[in-house]
Amino acid sequence: MLRTTQLHDYHAKHSKLTEFAGFEMPLWYTSTVEEHLAVRNASGIFDVSHMGRFAVKGGKASGFLESLVPTNVQSQPLSKAFYTLLLNDRGGIIDDLIIEKLAEDRYMVVVNAANAQTDMNHMASRAPNGLDIEDHTPSSAMIAVQGPRAQDSLQTLTQLDLSQLKRFRCAETTVAGEHALISRTGYTGEDGFEVIVYQATNDRPEGAVKVWEKLAETSAPCGLGARDSLRLEAGFPLHGSDIDQSTDPYEADLAWVISAGKTGFVGSEALANPEVQRPRTIRKGLVLDSGIPRHGFGVDGPAGSVGEVTSGTFSPITRKGIALCRISAESSEFGTRVSVKVREAQQGGTISKPPFYDEQLFGWKRQKR
Amino acid sequence: MEIQGYHIPEDLLYTKEHEWAKEEGGTVRVGITDYAAKTLNDVVYVTSPKTNASVQQMKSMGTVESIKAVSEIYSPVSGTVTKVNAQLDSHPELVNKSPYGEGWLVEVKPTDYASEKKSLLDAKAYAAHIESVLKQ
Repeated sequence: MLRTTQLHDYHAKHSKLTEFAGFEMPLWYTSTVEEHLAVRNASGIFDVSHMGRFAVKGGKASGFLESLVPTNVQSQPLSKAFYTLLLNDRGGIIDDLIIEKLAEDRYMVVVNAANAQTDMNHMASRAPNGLDIEDHTPSSAMIAVQGPRAQDSLQTLTQLDLSQLKRFRCAETTVAGEHALISRTGYTGEDGFEVIVYQATNDRPEGAVKVWEKLAETSAPCGLGARDSLRLEAGFPLHGSDIDQSTDPYEADLAWVISAGKTGFVGSEALANPEVQRPRTIRKGLVLDSGIPRHGFGVDGPAGSVGEVTSGTFSPITRKGIALCRISAESSEFGTRVSVKVREAQQGGTISKPPFYDEQLFGWKRQKR
Repeated sequence: MEIQGYHIPEDLLYTKEHEWAKEEGGTVRVGITDYAAKTLNDVVYVTSPKTNASVQQMKSMGTVESIKAVSEIYSPVSGTVTKVNAQLDSHPELVNKSPYGEGWLVEVKPTDYASEKKSLLDAKAYAAHIESVLKQ
């Protein structure tokens, strides 16, 4: 039996539904391309209530998280939201996640839906006595508001001055009268916010539904189709496709999350190995001259196989086939020419640095118009 | 006719794989149906056979792709490709906007259409096929 989010009635009425990570979720409302462009050009909203939300609380919370992730935790300022990884003892990536520091003794940990149970088990098995880990997934909803007009859209519903909330900062406030946690984060490459509506269960979803419907007056509802094409165009990895427990942060091209000199976190010994720090394969972007690369397609160099596509799609912005691929270090330099077999045709392509769109025109760094 | 929001013109013949065929002055124009286009959601890339390529009935002759999915195109007719809709290179969305008009894929000079068309569905039979697909 599939799980549903607090906003399921809306999705069932307005979208084409799909199964994802055990949840029944919207795939698209109007069309994936339309929704994709709405986020790049204006504002879109996504129901991301399926993602895991864990509150880590108590005097031991900071020390516990410090021992768990490769990024410094205790030195983060209050109201900081930061991207990091959960690693296994071999340095493999259990999940990628956002941690929001609400107080010295209170954090919100937001994880991928597909890994939520694994992450919870990983944390619980290492939790010291007196540490409190609360699963807020069933008792709260989460809505992402993304795009160059996301701030305008969300500002109509909250007293908090969003112009003062910087990227990767968070604040607790009210949204449409509902107690909420807003962070200036996202998975699209655009400016935007992720809003946790604290009081919303499947039995009493009214608060979350109100926030969603009010946002839908100024932002386009978007499904998982656009969520995937947007994150790929921005070059963000999807755990389970591009990175997994057999990939370490160096192979994932995510070594930047490891704070300089940090030791004593799960996986740190494995990552200290100089061999690991010179990965044989690495995650890189790829743009095809023609055709659409898909998960599992082989990538060839002049002397044979050099890697494989881990996720690929058509970029509605560049109108080219784009991909993330796992590629041998020797062939991973930007500008390297490769080829990908798309069914019977061999298509040329170039190893490229995401994001795949022009950052002058799209994404959070764009020139303000 | 219209079945659950899917348009099915009466003057075409259809395959169970959701292609249509229309005979016009010695050639057969081929495309994918409204149902196929809507199911793909948004066509972003079309790979058609080249002019002069030979195609075989119910064999794959190309692909239609959306953001998420790849769908094979099965030729409703055997013969030689005489014309390819070049507009689809820059405007693949025509397949969604006008699957039976501007979104056509290729024209084929058939080898034996008189007998091959017996295995195609008329609009009524195709509508019944859609209904049974939707029930599953």
